[in-house]
Amino acid sequence: MQVAWIIPLFPFVSFILLLLLGKRLKEKSGMVASLLVSLSVLASFFVFYERGSGDTFVREVSWFSIGEVDISVGYQITALNALMLVIVSVISLFVHLYSTAYMKGNERFSIYFAYLGLFTFAMTSLVMTTNILQLYVFWELVGLGSFLLIGFYFEREKAKAAAKKAFIMTRIGDVGLFVAIVLIYLHVGSFSFHELFQRVENGTLSSSVVTTIALLIFVGAIGKSGQFPLHTWLPDAMEGPTPVSALIHAATMVAAGVYLVAYVYPLFLASETALTVVASVGAFTAIFAATIATAQNDIKRILAYSTISQLGFMMLALGTAGYVAAIFHLTTHAFFKALLFLAAGSVIHIVHTQNIFQMGGVKDVRWTSATFVIGALSLSGIPLFSGFFSKEEIFLSVWESGHYTLFWIAMITAMLTSFYMFRLVFLVFPGEKKDREIRYVESPAMMKWTLGIVAAASILVGFIGHFLSDWLESDFTSAFTHAEGPWWMPVVSTVFSVAGILIAYQLYRPSKAPKESSTNRLLERGYYLDEAYNRTIVAFVKGIAKITSVIDRYVIGGLVATIAQSVVWLGKRGAYAQTGKTQHYGAVAFFGLTILLVIYVWMGGYW
Amino acid sequence: MNGEIIAFSILAFVAIIGALFMIQLRKVVHMVVALVFTFLSLAGLYVLLSAEFAAAVQVLIYSGAITIMMLFGIMLTRHGDEEKKGSRKKSVAIFLFLIAFAFSFYIGISQLDFGQQETTLHVDNTKEIGILLYSHYIIPFELTSVVLLVALVGAILLAKKEEEE
Amino acid sequence: MTSSPLALYLMLALVLFCIGMYGALMKRNTVIVLISIELMLNAANLNFIAFSKYGPNPSLFGQVFSLFSITIAAAEAAVGLAILMAIYRQRKSVHIDDYDSLKH
Repeated sequence: MQVAWIIPLFPFVSFILLLLLGKRLKEKSGMVASLLVSLSVLASFFVFYERGSGDTFVREVSWFSIGEVDISVGYQITALNALMLVIVSVISLFVHLYSTAYMKGNERFSIYFAYLGLFTFAMTSLVMTTNILQLYVFWELVGLGSFLLIGFYFEREKAKAAAKKAFIMTRIGDVGLFVAIVLIYLHVGSFSFHELFQRVENGTLSSSVVTTIALLIFVGAIGKSGQFPLHTWLPDAMEGPTPVSALIHAATMVAAGVYLVAYVYPLFLASETALTVVASVGAFTAIFAATIATAQNDIKRILAYSTISQLGFMMLALGTAGYVAAIFHLTTHAFFKALLFLAAGSVIHIVHTQNIFQMGGVKDVRWTSATFVIGALSLSGIPLFSGFFSKEEIFLSVWESGHYTLFWIAMITAMLTSFYMFRLVFLVFPGEKKDREIRYVESPAMMKWTLGIVAAASILVGFIGHFLSDWLESDFTSAFTHAEGPWWMPVVSTVFSVAGILIAYQLYRPSKAPKESSTNRLLERGYYLDEAYNRTIVAFVKGIAKITSVIDRYVIGGLVATIAQSVVWLGKRGAYAQTGKTQHYGAVAFFGLTILLVIYVWMGGYW
Repeated sequence: MNGEIIAFSILAFVAIIGALFMIQLRKVVHMVVALVFTFLSLAGLYVLLSAEFAAAVQVLIYSGAITIMMLFGIMLTRHGDEEKKGSRKKSVAIFLFLIAFAFSFYIGISQLDFGQQETTLHVDNTKEIGILLYSHYIIPFELTSVVLLVALVGAILLAKKEEEE
Repeated sequence: MTSSPLALYLMLALVLFCIGMYGALMKRNTVIVLISIELMLNAANLNFIAFSKYGPNPSLFGQVFSLFSITIAAAEAAVGLAILMAIYRQRKSVHIDDYDSLKH
């Protein structure tokens, strides 16, 4: 674990290398980047293994000091960190490999991999930090990576707008996080997590302070993880390349919010209010996004809203003291969501459209279909697939906490989840091709292989539940109870999930034609939330911008222009003194001399 | 009332009158003639100041050579009669400033007196000046000759007619 | 006269200088301007020679210097007139206001 710092180093080297040599490497950039990331993966596994046989490892160095204030940077390997490192690096590796085939032929191939490297560097560094200031630095860097990658196809207006929207919206959340950092420093006198947790344990921080800090940190998480109301950037972020969506908006960056809340969990445990808020927001977001997903036509947007919904589940778990459940779900979600996105990328590659109503009959493309369906089954929580196990844990934790309303909301959301997923499946895979002309050709080998491996991983990861709770508990002094829930719970949840599938089958069976309705329109537009934001906040900010622009152009610009003009005017006037006539010049010289003389005489000498 | 003062008064008077006429007269040649009077009376003043050599040189160079040069200049250039075209404002301003200038100098010099001393300047004036020129002031002397040479060549070059191709 | 001889000579020189200055600044004809300059130089010479006799240290230096001054004045007058000739050939005029091609 001493060398854990090289884990982020490899992707960083990839970033720099590809920036400098990208033009020359061209097609080989993908291999170079993948190679470096695979080294990172190896290192992550190694660190994971070491943590398993050892204790939490911390290492810090002093960065700079101002007066009496000492700011240090460092890294630590807790159980949670080690797990996150493995997840991030593994998924990043698969995305790298997949992208070598997906992005083939793109002009800015090497730049793409450079950005991927930057992002991976930032994400892996983020999960290893020891103090919240350093975390903020990498938090922002991750946001930058996301911005660059979402706006990768920058020739398109929509991509540019989406990138800006993502960055600005997460920034709004980041303000909350920043204020939290300031408060932490004010009350604790240091940025270190260790000190913070000690203070919380000692009870030396007043409960209102703890609650405020916890809520502000949660605001940051809302932005990054796309919870209501800062969720509208996620669907738009689908303008980026599909592998990017797999990496960032399924597995890693959006999980950063969940990770952050989990990381400062002692803080949340100390505040009932904060926990309740987290749980409520999570639950609301989950059902909210699930309803919207049922009316989307774009395959990627369905998956995007699904991500928002699943993140809501994770927040719900955290809010009901289900730490292990949340992390478990984060892990399984990372794998099956990445799988779904990658498979969706493959589908898009085959069908050349993203509108599910224009697809159909993709089932003939066996490999892609199989992997996609595996992902869908996982997400829907069908028994034996990974999603089932992690969702079980979440339901259990909600039930145990006694929030029965939230429990039923979660159940309904699970039904909606399987409904919209299988709506997608039934529209895309079985049935006839809508467009006779297109031939469906299976995707390139590299894409197939990565899909296969990720699919296998996503199935396997479902069975680590028990080990996970033991693993994560080594971080905490107090143990989490892993009680067995009521026997009927798995049954009920399976019933809900299957019900969703059946309803989808009824409505979207190959032979039936889909119908339009007004509620459909409302849901499709996301309850018109984007429009509302546009009319209010965006219009307000634009108004301020216009005012300041007017001030800048006319007041300040006018001032500058006036000064310039007056100088010119002065110069022109002064030029008249140059008459070219010798006698004038001589006369002026004489006048000057006389004046000096008179002054001399008057003052009785030089003054 | 000794003769010195009478001589001084007469010579000074002539000098100033000459200068004034120079300013006032219309025709250029008349102006030059008035100027000659001024030069000559200045030579007389030099004699009064025990500077006989300087007086001689003054007569030779100024009222001789330079006057002739000016006359040549006047002859070779055609001019209409002196038109008094200067602006009122300008002449008033110059006049005022001149008054101020003169006044400030007057304040400085009117009470200047270093006391009369017996001087031997008039004894062998030319010879003494010659000795000085060739001993103490030999370098300025030589340089002056260079300057004269340069002026000569320069004046010729400048005044030469352009050669027709 | 109550003023010392020195003061008288100096005042005379001052008057001549001022008259010369007036002419140099006011006259339209370039030749007259040159002549006025000569007058000013003469006034300066008178100053030198007066100081050589009535100054604090009477010596011949004033006179020697005035000799040099006369020489240089002559050289300057010669060159000045030569330039005047050259310009006259170009512009056919000795009116000093016509020599203003350096104006802005």
